[in-house]
Amino acid sequence: MNPFIKHSVRFILFVLLQGLVFGQLEIDFGIQIMLYPLYILFLPLEMGIIWVMLLSFLMGISIDYFMNTFGLHASASVLVAYLRPELLKLFSPRDGYESYTEGNIRQMGYTWFISVFGIIVVIHHLYFFLLEHFKLTELLYIFRQTSLSALLTLTIAILSQILFFKTKKIT
Amino acid sequence: MRNLIAFLQRFRIFLVFLLLQIIALTSYFSIVNYPRTKWFNSSASFFASLLSMNHQVTKHFDLEIENRVLQNALKKAYKESINTYIPVKTNQIKVNDTLLQLQYNYVPATIKNGTYTRKDNFFTIDKGRKADIKADMGVVSSNGLVGIVYDVSDYYAVVKSILHSSINIPVQVEKINAKGLLKWEIYDNNPLRIKLTGISNDIPIPRGSNVVTTGSSGLFPPNYSVGKVETVKPIEGKPEWEITVRLSNDLRTTQNVFVIENILKTEQHELEEKAKQEFKEE
Repeated sequence: MNPFIKHSVRFILFVLLQGLVFGQLEIDFGIQIMLYPLYILFLPLEMGIIWVMLLSFLMGISIDYFMNTFGLHASASVLVAYLRPELLKLFSPRDGYESYTEGNIRQMGYTWFISVFGIIVVIHHLYFFLLEHFKLTELLYIFRQTSLSALLTLTIAILSQILFFKTKKIT
Repeated sequence: MRNLIAFLQRFRIFLVFLLLQIIALTSYFSIVNYPRTKWFNSSASFFASLLSMNHQVTKHFDLEIENRVLQNALKKAYKESINTYIPVKTNQIKVNDTLLQLQYNYVPATIKNGTYTRKDNFFTIDKGRKADIKADMGVVSSNGLVGIVYDVSDYYAVVKSILHSSINIPVQVEKINAKGLLKWEIYDNNPLRIKLTGISNDIPIPRGSNVVTTGSSGLFPPNYSVGKVETVKPIEGKPEWEITVRLSNDLRTTQNVFVIENILKTEQHELEEKAKQEFKEE
Protein backbone atom coordinates (compact mmCIF):
# COMPACT_ATOMS: atom_id res chain seq x y z
CA MET A 1 0.00 0.00 0.00
CA ASN A 2 1.08 3.54 -0.62
CA PRO A 3 2.78 4.61 2.63
CA PHE A 4 1.10 8.02 2.54
CA ILE A 5 -2.37 6.48 2.47
CA LYS A 6 -1.39 3.84 5.01
CA HIS A 7 -0.21 6.38 7.56
CA SER A 8 -3.17 8.70 6.95
CA VAL A 9 -5.60 5.86 7.58
CA ARG A 10 -3.65 4.91 10.67
CA PHE A 11 -3.74 8.51 11.88
CA ILE A 12 -7.53 8.62 11.72
CA LEU A 13 -7.78 5.16 13.26
CA PHE A 14 -5.58 6.04 16.22
CA VAL A 15 -7.40 9.32 16.88
CA LEU A 16 -10.80 7.63 16.81
CA LEU A 17 -9.56 4.74 18.92
CA GLN A 18 -8.19 7.11 21.54
CA GLY A 19 -11.10 9.54 21.49
CA LEU A 20 -13.98 7.11 21.33
CA VAL A 21 -12.70 3.93 22.96
CA PHE A 22 -9.71 4.29 25.27
CA GLY A 23 -10.56 7.83 26.33
CA GLN A 24 -14.04 6.75 27.40
CA LEU A 25 -12.82 3.96 29.66
CA GLU A 26 -12.96 4.86 33.32
CA ILE A 27 -10.66 2.63 35.32
CA ASP A 28 -9.86 3.02 39.01
CA PHE A 29 -6.57 4.43 40.39
CA GLY A 30 -6.64 7.16 37.73
CA ILE A 31 -5.42 4.76 35.05
CA GLN A 32 -5.59 6.17 31.53
CA ILE A 33 -4.71 4.13 28.48
CA MET A 34 -2.97 6.24 25.85
CA LEU A 35 -2.07 4.18 22.82
CA TYR A 36 -1.33 6.92 20.30
CA PRO A 37 2.47 7.12 21.00
CA LEU A 38 2.46 3.83 19.07
CA TYR A 39 1.52 5.79 15.94
CA ILE A 40 4.53 8.05 16.43
CA LEU A 41 6.80 5.02 16.75
CA PHE A 42 5.26 3.45 13.63
CA LEU A 43 5.99 6.42 11.38
CA PRO A 44 8.65 5.56 8.76
CA LEU A 45 12.03 5.20 10.41
CA GLU A 46 13.76 7.52 7.96
CA MET A 47 11.14 10.28 8.24
CA GLY A 48 12.46 13.75 9.08
CA ILE A 49 12.05 14.73 12.72
CA ILE A 50 10.27 18.00 11.90
CA TRP A 51 7.57 16.14 10.01
CA VAL A 52 7.26 13.64 12.82
CA MET A 53 6.82 16.49 15.31
CA LEU A 54 4.21 18.25 13.18
CA LEU A 55 2.23 15.04 12.73
CA SER A 56 2.42 14.27 16.45
CA PHE A 57 1.26 17.77 17.26
CA LEU A 58 -1.71 17.33 14.93
CA MET A 59 -2.52 14.01 16.53
CA GLY A 60 -2.29 15.42 20.04
CA ILE A 61 -4.53 18.36 19.17
CA SER A 62 -7.14 16.06 17.63
CA ILE A 63 -7.21 14.02 20.82
CA ASP A 64 -7.35 17.18 22.92
CA TYR A 65 -10.53 18.11 21.09
CA PHE A 66 -12.11 14.86 22.20
CA MET A 67 -10.88 14.79 25.76
CA ASN A 68 -11.11 18.47 26.73
CA THR A 69 -7.49 18.56 27.80
CA PHE A 70 -6.65 21.81 25.94
CA GLY A 71 -3.23 20.93 24.54
CA LEU A 72 -1.91 18.47 27.11
CA HIS A 73 -1.87 15.51 24.73
CA ALA A 74 -0.28 17.68 22.03
CA SER A 75 2.56 18.72 24.31
CA ALA A 76 3.26 15.17 25.46
CA SER A 77 3.24 13.70 21.95
CA VAL A 78 5.53 16.42 20.57
CA LEU A 79 7.98 15.53 23.35
CA VAL A 80 7.87 11.88 22.31
CA ALA A 81 8.43 12.83 18.67
CA TYR A 82 11.40 14.99 19.66
CA LEU A 83 13.03 12.16 21.59
CA ARG A 84 12.27 9.45 19.02
CA PRO A 85 15.44 9.73 16.86
CA GLU A 86 17.67 9.63 19.96
CA LEU A 87 15.90 6.54 21.23
CA LEU A 88 16.10 4.84 17.85
CA LYS A 89 19.81 5.58 17.73
CA LEU A 90 20.29 4.19 21.24
CA PHE A 91 18.65 0.89 20.41
CA SER A 92 19.74 0.55 16.79
CA PRO A 93 20.37 -3.02 15.64
CA ARG A 94 23.89 -4.09 14.68
CA ASP A 95 23.40 -3.50 10.97
CA GLY A 96 21.35 -0.30 11.33
CA TYR A 97 17.77 0.28 10.30
CA GLU A 98 18.31 -0.02 6.55
CA SER A 99 16.61 -3.36 6.12
CA TYR A 100 13.59 -2.42 8.21
CA THR A 101 10.56 -0.34 7.19
CA GLU A 102 8.89 0.41 10.51
CA GLY A 103 9.32 -0.28 14.20
CA ASN A 104 6.70 -2.92 14.82
CA ILE A 105 7.08 -6.05 16.88
CA ARG A 106 7.08 -8.45 13.93
CA GLN A 107 10.06 -6.80 12.28
CA MET A 108 12.11 -5.71 15.26
CA GLY A 109 11.39 -8.43 17.77
CA TYR A 110 10.06 -8.34 21.32
CA THR A 111 13.14 -7.06 23.16
CA TRP A 112 13.60 -4.09 20.87
CA PHE A 113 9.94 -3.18 20.89
CA ILE A 114 9.42 -3.54 24.63
CA SER A 115 12.49 -1.50 25.50
CA VAL A 116 11.86 1.30 22.97
CA PHE A 117 8.11 1.57 23.35
CA GLY A 118 8.39 1.03 27.11
CA ILE A 119 10.68 4.04 27.45
CA ILE A 120 8.45 6.11 25.15
CA VAL A 121 5.34 5.25 27.13
CA VAL A 122 6.92 5.93 30.51
CA ILE A 123 8.25 9.32 29.36
CA HIS A 124 4.95 10.21 27.73
CA HIS A 125 2.75 9.17 30.65
CA LEU A 126 4.99 10.67 33.32
CA TYR A 127 5.18 14.00 31.48
CA PHE A 128 1.45 13.96 30.85
CA PHE A 129 0.44 13.25 34.44
CA LEU A 130 3.03 15.62 35.92
CA LEU A 131 1.64 18.42 33.78
CA GLU A 132 -1.96 17.47 34.44
CA HIS A 133 -1.66 17.53 38.22
CA PHE A 134 1.17 20.07 38.45
CA LYS A 135 1.48 19.43 42.15
CA LEU A 136 4.63 18.06 43.76
CA THR A 137 2.86 17.03 46.95
CA GLU A 138 0.99 14.32 45.05
CA LEU A 139 4.09 12.72 43.49
CA LEU A 140 3.26 9.34 44.94
CA TYR A 141 -0.15 9.37 43.32
CA ILE A 142 1.36 10.46 40.00
CA PHE A 143 3.99 7.71 40.07
CA ARG A 144 1.42 5.06 40.84
CA GLN A 145 -0.85 6.36 38.10
CA THR A 146 2.05 6.50 35.62
CA SER A 147 3.36 3.02 36.30
CA LEU A 148 -0.04 1.35 36.21
CA SER A 149 -1.13 3.19 33.06
CA ALA A 150 2.19 2.54 31.31
CA LEU A 151 1.98 -1.16 32.08
CA LEU A 152 -1.53 -1.38 30.69
CA THR A 153 -0.72 0.66 27.58
CA LEU A 154 2.35 -1.49 26.83
CA THR A 155 0.35 -4.68 27.22
CA ILE A 156 -2.35 -3.46 24.87
CA ALA A 157 0.26 -2.29 22.34
CA ILE A 158 1.87 -5.75 22.29
CA LEU A 159 -1.45 -7.61 22.15
CA SER A 160 -2.81 -5.43 19.35
CA GLN A 161 0.25 -6.13 17.23
CA ILE A 162 0.08 -9.85 17.80
CA LEU A 163 -3.54 -9.71 16.70
CA PHE A 164 -3.46 -7.28 13.80
CA PHE A 165 -0.03 -7.41 12.19
CA LYS A 166 0.87 -9.94 9.59
CA THR A 167 4.11 -11.81 10.02
CA LYS A 168 6.52 -10.47 7.48
CA LYS A 169 9.68 -12.22 6.44
CA ILE A 170 12.63 -9.90 6.56
CA THR A 171 14.55 -10.22 3.32
CA MET B 1 22.35 38.22 9.47
CA ARG B 2 24.28 35.28 8.11
CA ASN B 3 25.08 34.22 11.64
CA LEU B 4 21.42 34.34 12.48
CA ILE B 5 20.50 32.13 9.52
CA ALA B 6 23.24 29.68 10.43
CA PHE B 7 21.98 29.64 14.00
CA LEU B 8 18.43 29.03 12.87
CA GLN B 9 19.54 26.20 10.63
CA ARG B 10 21.52 24.52 13.34
CA PHE B 11 18.76 24.74 15.91
CA ARG B 12 15.89 24.29 13.46
CA ILE B 13 14.67 21.08 15.03
CA PHE B 14 14.82 22.43 18.54
CA LEU B 15 13.06 25.65 17.50
CA VAL B 16 10.18 23.76 15.90
CA PHE B 17 9.96 21.64 19.04
CA LEU B 18 9.92 24.76 21.20
CA LEU B 19 7.29 26.45 19.06
CA LEU B 20 4.92 23.48 19.18
CA GLN B 21 5.42 23.09 22.92
CA ILE B 22 4.73 26.79 23.47
CA ILE B 23 1.47 26.59 21.51
CA ALA B 24 0.29 23.51 23.40
CA LEU B 25 1.38 24.63 26.86
CA THR B 26 0.07 28.19 26.48
CA SER B 27 -3.28 26.77 25.62
CA TYR B 28 -3.22 24.36 28.55
CA PHE B 29 -1.97 26.71 31.23
CA SER B 30 -4.11 29.62 30.15
CA ILE B 31 -7.08 27.33 30.82
CA VAL B 32 -5.77 26.33 34.21
CA ASN B 33 -5.03 29.85 35.38
CA TYR B 34 -7.48 32.08 33.56
CA PRO B 35 -10.42 30.13 32.15
CA ARG B 36 -10.93 32.59 29.33
CA THR B 37 -9.14 31.43 26.19
CA LYS B 38 -10.91 28.40 24.88
CA TRP B 39 -9.08 26.44 22.21
CA PHE B 40 -9.23 22.75 21.51
CA ASN B 41 -12.38 21.67 23.30
CA SER B 42 -15.10 19.27 22.36
CA SER B 43 -17.81 21.86 21.73
CA ALA B 44 -16.31 22.15 18.22
CA SER B 45 -19.13 20.73 16.16
CA PHE B 46 -17.10 18.19 14.18
CA PHE B 47 -15.73 16.47 17.26
CA ALA B 48 -18.99 16.82 19.15
CA SER B 49 -20.92 15.13 16.36
CA LEU B 50 -18.43 12.24 16.36
CA LEU B 51 -18.86 11.90 20.11
CA SER B 52 -22.62 11.94 19.81
CA MET B 53 -22.39 9.18 17.20
CA ASN B 54 -20.47 7.22 19.79
CA HIS B 55 -23.17 8.01 22.30
CA GLN B 56 -25.80 6.54 19.99
CA VAL B 57 -24.32 3.17 20.88
CA THR B 58 -23.26 3.63 24.48
CA LYS B 59 -26.47 5.29 25.65
CA HIS B 60 -28.23 1.93 25.73
CA PHE B 61 -25.93 0.54 28.38
CA ASP B 62 -27.46 2.44 31.29
CA LEU B 63 -31.06 2.49 30.20
CA GLU B 64 -32.38 0.64 33.23
CA ILE B 65 -30.89 3.07 35.73
CA GLU B 66 -31.90 5.98 33.55
CA ASN B 67 -35.50 4.77 33.50
CA ARG B 68 -35.61 4.60 37.27
CA VAL B 69 -34.20 8.10 37.57
CA LEU B 70 -36.77 9.50 35.17
CA GLN B 71 -39.56 7.70 36.98
CA ASN B 72 -38.50 9.24 40.28
CA ALA B 73 -38.34 12.67 38.68
CA LEU B 74 -41.84 12.19 37.29
CA LYS B 75 -43.13 11.08 40.67
CA LYS B 76 -41.75 14.24 42.20
CA ALA B 77 -43.28 16.35 39.46
CA TYR B 78 -46.69 14.71 39.86
CA LYS B 79 -46.62 15.40 43.57
CA GLU B 80 -46.10 19.09 42.94
CA SER B 81 -48.60 19.30 40.14
CA ILE B 82 -51.81 21.17 40.90
CA ASN B 83 -53.93 18.32 39.59
CA THR B 84 -52.94 15.98 42.40
CA TYR B 85 -54.65 18.21 44.96
CA ILE B 86 -58.38 18.15 45.44
CA PRO B 87 -60.08 21.34 46.52
CA VAL B 88 -61.10 20.99 50.17
CA LYS B 89 -63.30 24.03 50.33
CA THR B 90 -65.62 24.37 47.38
CA ASN B 91 -66.58 27.95 48.09
CA GLN B 92 -63.11 29.16 47.09
CA ILE B 93 -61.92 29.56 43.55
CA LYS B 94 -58.36 29.59 42.39
CA VAL B 95 -57.18 32.85 40.84
CA ASN B 96 -54.08 33.20 38.77
CA ASP B 97 -52.20 35.74 40.85
CA THR B 98 -49.00 37.66 40.29
CA LEU B 99 -47.40 36.64 43.57
CA LEU B 100 -45.24 34.03 41.93
CA GLN B 101 -42.99 34.63 38.99
CA LEU B 102 -40.98 32.04 37.13
CA GLN B 103 -37.32 32.39 38.09
CA TYR B 104 -35.67 29.18 36.93
CA ASN B 105 -36.16 27.77 33.48
CA TYR B 106 -35.08 24.17 32.89
CA VAL B 107 -33.74 23.24 29.46
CA PRO B 108 -33.49 19.45 29.02
CA ALA B 109 -30.28 18.11 27.47
CA THR B 110 -28.42 14.83 27.12
CA ILE B 111 -24.84 14.10 28.11
CA LYS B 112 -22.99 12.88 25.02
CA ASN B 113 -19.57 12.33 26.44
CA GLY B 114 -17.89 12.72 29.77
CA THR B 115 -14.93 11.87 31.96
CA TYR B 116 -15.10 11.11 35.67
CA THR B 117 -11.69 10.02 36.84
CA ARG B 118 -9.44 12.78 35.53
CA LYS B 119 -8.20 15.70 37.56
CA ASP B 120 -10.44 18.07 35.59
CA ASN B 121 -13.58 16.47 34.26
CA PHE B 122 -15.89 17.81 31.57
CA PHE B 123 -19.10 16.80 29.88
CA THR B 124 -20.33 17.48 26.38
CA ILE B 125 -24.08 18.05 26.13
CA ASP B 126 -26.24 18.30 23.03
CA LYS B 127 -27.74 21.76 23.51
CA GLY B 128 -25.96 24.94 22.60
CA ARG B 129 -26.34 28.57 21.68
CA LYS B 130 -29.40 27.80 19.52
CA ALA B 131 -31.19 26.55 22.64
CA ASP B 132 -30.31 29.79 24.48
CA ILE B 133 -27.57 28.21 26.54
CA LYS B 134 -24.78 30.51 27.65
CA ALA B 135 -21.58 30.02 29.57
CA ASP B 136 -21.88 29.98 33.40
CA MET B 137 -25.28 28.39 33.65
CA GLY B 138 -25.87 25.65 36.19
CA VAL B 139 -26.54 22.08 35.09
CA VAL B 140 -28.45 19.61 37.27
CA SER B 141 -29.92 16.15 36.92
CA SER B 142 -33.09 15.11 38.67
CA ASN B 143 -30.99 13.71 41.54
CA GLY B 144 -28.43 16.41 42.12
CA LEU B 145 -25.81 18.75 40.74
CA VAL B 146 -23.91 18.05 37.55
CA GLY B 147 -21.83 21.12 36.76
CA ILE B 148 -21.54 24.56 35.22
CA VAL B 149 -21.61 25.37 31.48
CA TYR B 150 -18.11 26.27 30.37
CA ASP B 151 -18.21 26.92 26.63
CA VAL B 152 -20.92 26.78 23.97
CA SER B 153 -21.02 26.27 20.23
CA ASP B 154 -24.16 26.42 18.08
CA TYR B 155 -25.49 22.97 18.91
CA TYR B 156 -23.26 21.70 21.70
CA ALA B 157 -21.90 22.85 25.02
CA VAL B 158 -19.05 21.78 27.27
CA VAL B 159 -19.94 21.54 30.95
CA LYS B 160 -17.39 21.78 33.74
CA SER B 161 -18.32 18.86 35.96
CA ILE B 162 -18.55 19.25 39.75
CA LEU B 163 -15.66 16.78 39.64
CA HIS B 164 -13.30 19.55 38.56
CA SER B 165 -10.36 20.84 40.54
CA SER B 166 -11.37 24.50 40.26
CA ILE B 167 -15.04 24.32 41.05
CA ASN B 168 -16.45 26.03 44.14
CA ILE B 169 -20.17 25.74 44.67
CA PRO B 170 -21.72 27.40 47.72
CA VAL B 171 -23.84 24.89 49.65
CA GLN B 172 -25.30 24.60 53.13
CA VAL B 173 -26.16 21.84 55.54
CA GLU B 174 -29.92 21.59 55.77
CA LYS B 175 -31.64 22.72 59.02
CA ILE B 176 -28.35 23.95 60.54
CA ASN B 177 -27.76 26.34 57.62
CA ALA B 178 -23.99 26.17 58.02
CA LYS B 179 -22.57 27.40 54.72
CA GLY B 180 -19.51 26.11 52.93
CA LEU B 181 -17.98 25.42 49.53
CA LEU B 182 -17.96 22.16 47.59
CA LYS B 183 -14.52 21.13 46.37
CA TRP B 184 -13.40 18.03 44.54
CA GLU B 185 -9.96 16.50 44.44
CA ILE B 186 -8.95 13.47 42.44
CA TYR B 187 -6.75 12.24 45.29
CA ASP B 188 -9.84 11.05 47.18
CA ASN B 189 -10.17 8.65 44.29
CA ASN B 190 -13.92 8.46 44.16
CA PRO B 191 -16.35 10.19 41.81
CA LEU B 192 -19.10 9.81 44.42
CA ARG B 193 -17.48 11.70 47.28
CA ILE B 194 -16.78 15.39 47.42
CA LYS B 195 -15.28 17.67 50.11
CA LEU B 196 -17.25 20.37 51.86
CA THR B 197 -14.90 23.05 53.18
CA GLY B 198 -15.19 26.23 55.17
CA ILE B 199 -17.51 25.13 57.98
CA SER B 200 -16.26 26.21 61.38
CA ASN B 201 -15.67 23.38 63.85
CA ASP B 202 -17.77 24.89 66.64
CA ILE B 203 -20.92 24.02 64.70
CA PRO B 204 -21.92 20.41 65.33
CA ILE B 205 -22.69 18.64 62.06
CA PRO B 206 -24.65 15.41 62.46
CA ARG B 207 -23.71 12.63 60.08
CA GLY B 208 -26.30 11.85 57.45
CA SER B 209 -27.73 15.37 57.29
CA ASN B 210 -28.68 16.67 53.88
CA VAL B 211 -26.51 19.08 51.97
CA VAL B 212 -28.37 21.49 49.67
CA THR B 213 -27.49 24.44 47.46
CA THR B 214 -27.80 27.94 48.88
CA GLY B 215 -28.87 29.62 45.67
CA SER B 216 -26.63 32.57 46.46
CA SER B 217 -24.55 32.12 43.32
CA GLY B 218 -27.63 32.37 41.15
CA LEU B 219 -26.50 29.29 39.20
CA PHE B 220 -28.63 26.75 41.01
CA PRO B 221 -32.04 27.10 42.61
CA PRO B 222 -31.91 27.16 46.43
CA ASN B 223 -32.48 23.95 48.41
CA TYR B 224 -31.53 21.68 45.54
CA SER B 225 -30.29 18.39 46.93
CA VAL B 226 -26.55 17.69 46.60
CA GLY B 227 -25.91 14.73 48.87
CA LYS B 228 -25.52 13.54 52.44
CA VAL B 229 -22.78 14.20 54.99
CA GLU B 230 -20.75 11.03 55.29
CA THR B 231 -17.80 11.73 57.56
CA VAL B 232 -16.89 14.71 59.74
CA LYS B 233 -13.29 15.03 60.87
CA PRO B 234 -11.40 17.89 62.51
CA ILE B 235 -8.44 19.33 60.58
CA GLU B 236 -5.34 19.80 62.68
CA GLY B 237 -4.31 23.42 63.09
CA LYS B 238 -7.45 24.82 61.49
CA PRO B 239 -10.74 25.73 63.13
CA GLU B 240 -12.61 23.85 60.43
CA TRP B 241 -14.27 20.52 59.81
CA GLU B 242 -13.14 18.24 57.05
CA ILE B 243 -16.49 17.03 55.75
CA THR B 244 -17.01 14.39 53.10
CA VAL B 245 -20.30 14.49 51.24
CA ARG B 246 -21.66 11.52 49.39
CA LEU B 247 -23.27 12.80 46.18
CA SER B 248 -26.87 11.83 45.61
CA ASN B 249 -26.39 11.33 41.89
CA ASP B 250 -23.81 9.05 40.34
CA LEU B 251 -22.40 11.11 37.50
CA ARG B 252 -21.11 8.00 35.78
CA THR B 253 -24.62 6.85 34.95
CA THR B 254 -26.31 10.22 34.51
CA GLN B 255 -27.54 10.86 30.99
CA ASN B 256 -30.44 13.29 31.06
CA VAL B 257 -29.73 16.66 32.59
CA PHE B 258 -31.31 20.10 32.80
CA VAL B 259 -29.54 23.35 32.10
CA ILE B 260 -30.84 26.02 34.45
CA GLU B 261 -31.54 29.44 33.12
CA ASN B 262 -31.94 31.93 35.93
CA ILE B 263 -34.17 34.61 34.50
CA LEU B 264 -33.47 37.01 37.36
CA LYS B 265 -29.72 36.39 37.50
CA THR B 266 -28.70 39.56 35.70
CA GLU B 267 -30.96 41.52 38.00
CA GLN B 268 -29.37 39.95 41.07
CA HIS B 269 -25.88 40.60 39.77
CA GLU B 270 -26.61 44.18 38.79
CA LEU B 271 -27.98 44.84 42.24
CA GLU B 272 -24.96 43.27 43.90
CA GLU B 273 -22.56 45.23 41.73
CA LYS B 274 -24.41 48.45 42.45
CA ALA B 275 -24.30 47.80 46.18
CA LYS B 276 -20.58 47.07 45.97
CA GLN B 277 -19.86 50.31 44.10
CA GLU B 278 -21.91 52.41 46.46
CA PHE B 279 -20.11 50.87 49.36
CA LYS B 280 -16.78 51.78 47.77
CA GLU B 281 -17.77 55.38 47.21
CA GLU B 282 -18.62 55.99 50.82
